[in-house]
Amino acid sequence: MAKNSKGIETAEIIADKCIACQICIAECPVGAIELSPEGTARVLPEVCIGCGECAEVCPVEAVAFDKAGRKKFKKAEKPGPRIPVPGRVVAVYIEHNGQKAADVSWELLGKGRELADKLQARLAALVPGSEINGLYSRVQNIGCDEFHVLEHKSLYRYVSSLYGHALSAMVRRVEPEILLLGATSQGRDLAGVVATHLKTGLTADCTGLDIEEDSGLMLMTRPTFGGNIMATIFCENHRPQMATVRPKVFPMPVFSERECKVIRHDWSPPDDARIPELIDFIEDTTRAGVDITQYPVLIVAGKGACSPDSFPMLEELAGLLGGTVACSRPVVEAGIMPYERQVGQTGKTVAPRLYIGVGVSGAVQHRVAIQGAERILAVNTDPNAPIFQVADAGIVGDYTQVLPELISRIKERKKSRHD
Amino acid sequence: MHIVCCLKQVPDTADVKIDSQTNTLIREGVESIMNPYDLVAVETAVRLKEKHECLISAVCMGPAQAESILRQALSLGVDKGILLSDRAFAGADTLATSYTLAQAVSMLDRQHQVDLIICGKQAIDGDTAQTGPGLATRLGFALLTYITGLESFKPSQRKIIVRRKVEEGQEVLEVNLPALITVELDLARPRRASLPGLMKSLRRKIEVWDKNAIEADAEQLGIKGSPTWVRRIGVPSPRAGGPTFNAAEGLQDAVDRSLDILFQDFFTADEPGVAEGEEHGKKFQGN
Ligand SMILES: Cc1cc2nc3c(=O)[nH]c(=O)nc-3n(C[C@H](O)[C@H](O)[C@H](O)COP(=O)(O)OP(=O)(O)OC[C@H]3O[C@@H](n4cnc5c(N)ncnc54)[C@H](O)[C@@H]3O)c2cc1C
Repeated sequence: MAKNSKGIETAEIIADKCIACQICIAECPVGAIELSPEGTARVLPEVCIGCGECAEVCPVEAVAFDKAGRKKFKKAEKPGPRIPVPGRVVAVYIEHNGQKAADVSWELLGKGRELADKLQARLAALVPGSEINGLYSRVQNIGCDEFHVLEHKSLYRYVSSLYGHALSAMVRRVEPEILLLGATSQGRDLAGVVATHLKTGLTADCTGLDIEEDSGLMLMTRPTFGGNIMATIFCENHRPQMATVRPKVFPMPVFSERECKVIRHDWSPPDDARIPELIDFIEDTTRAGVDITQYPVLIVAGKGACSPDSFPMLEELAGLLGGTVACSRPVVEAGIMPYERQVGQTGKTVAPRLYIGVGVSGAVQHRVAIQGAERILAVNTDPNAPIFQVADAGIVGDYTQVLPELISRIKERKKSRHD
Repeated sequence: MHIVCCLKQVPDTADVKIDSQTNTLIREGVESIMNPYDLVAVETAVRLKEKHECLISAVCMGPAQAESILRQALSLGVDKGILLSDRAFAGADTLATSYTLAQAVSMLDRQHQVDLIICGKQAIDGDTAQTGPGLATRLGFALLTYITGLESFKPSQRKIIVRRKVEEGQEVLEVNLPALITVELDLARPRRASLPGLMKSLRRKIEVWDKNAIEADAEQLGIKGSPTWVRRIGVPSPRAGGPTFNAAEGLQDAVDRSLDILFQDFFTADEPGVAEGEEHGKKFQGN
């Protein structure tokens, strides 16, 4: 360990491990850490007082510091964790169209039930909208203890400011410890507005949620750095602890019957709300109702199969298995398939029964979104392609030869089964 | 008309790799760039300036070296670059970031009333897409996310008409200014800087504002103002892989053995998934 000219053992940043979260910079009591032009933290040895605070707070152990030589200093008092109150609530925002809740809301009710049980808390559904009769006919089957309804005619379509205001009002009344929203385009928009109104923490696009045993805090895991790293985040002193989760990350739950109270809330929109006027709606016809997350089988074309000529073959395979064709990002970028077909961190998370990757290398940003697939088959010419590490079976070979064989063998198997 | 673009400097995450042996980031050769969505925000603003009289300011919160992206913005036609840089801003999550930006925009607003804020839909390093909604909420601006088109801009009526991508299609919305829009990549293809533009940008001064310059409450800044903390960092847990078969050593055998593994119980009696899929039966149409 290096000493500075005052003989103090100073801390050192291990640049390779540093993720530039800047927590040490903020926590250093003497301002001895700065961001280097390479984008990692670095310690100014002559300013460092050797307190080791940076080593304590670093989430990735990127600070080399010899604790033996630690110099004491008086730390500013931090507020202690909020003591959890009995009778807590875990809340889920229900995204809906008046008749039906979005699948992701169901998935979150399943996860919410699990979290609520761990906390011995009640599970509450928060449902703002205009006419939502269609939704609460069967509230005893949704795993909830409470079903909170806020009905107002101004909520007939989604407007950020109105929904943000309404949901914030519900949260202020229900006071949940935790609030979960689907990371759909609506949910992401709404979550940002509500977290700002409530001045609380929000973790986006979580892939894992759990309760930490001794603290009772929610631990939220999300990919960061383009999916290369999983960060586990917590929100200690602000409530509710908010998280968004993308569709298909959690499985569809099955609920047994449960007594559920319907609670209605009054609300009126704020006078100064800025409401954009909807002057037209252009339905997306290219999409024609295709939602790749709904198919049990996905044939996923990668850059290695990124040619319009390959599509008849991919489609035949998809048709044979009752699936549809999806793709990796380069295929979208090449303009060969629409964005809605993209699997991956910036596309869709999928959990089909069978995923067949054709000429997909399996970059992390792609892999994170196929973790939930029941079975994975990879076809790739490169035996070292990372996709093989996650595939249940892999075929090393050129897809133009492998696919026709695959198609004919599957046909044969289907035929022999029917005979 | 005063337009403010919010820019972020990000590592080019396409280049970030993990050393699987040591579980550390390989930073070599990873460049810092302007967030690609923010580049579209700049392009959008510059196109408006070509048709209407506008002043464009760009703000960026970041360390001293983030100045480079503001200079890039100047070279593309932005009039004024402001770097929000202060040790107190470090470690900010989205709540603290939107606070810092809101303070900065308020200061700009005092100099020249702000009509429109343009943010990228999200930053490619964090992908959270929350700074825009947070900023609009703090300032009380109309919020329009996922904008794919600017249909018309009516400065005299203080109105803007935009196209917004939602799950089922595109909304065409008219809204009164001031508004904040967050833009998608397909809104506009960013131009390259012209040589004179580049030369001029080098001579321009970038203002650096610290926490006093934006009259910030220190409690709401940086790590102090951030409710969320990182507990730990890990690498994505891998799924256990199965065997691979080489087609060169027998194509039919490779296919058969793969199918045996995959379809052990797939073609069973009820085939719930398969039947459902056939019912969907929609073919891919291309675009
Ligand atoms: C922030 C961020 C977000 C991203 N989000 C996504 C995302 O949502 N989705 C996504 O997919 N990517 C995403 N990416 C991109 C990702 O990093 C990869 O670049 C991308 O997934 C690679 O796609 P690919 O596997 O199709 O192409 P490549 O990596 O180029 O792989 C092509 C593969 O095809 C094989 N091949 C070539 N010819 C043949 C043949 N004849 N027969 C069989 N195999 C063949 C090659 O061996 C190779 O393995 C993202 C990147 C970043 C930085």
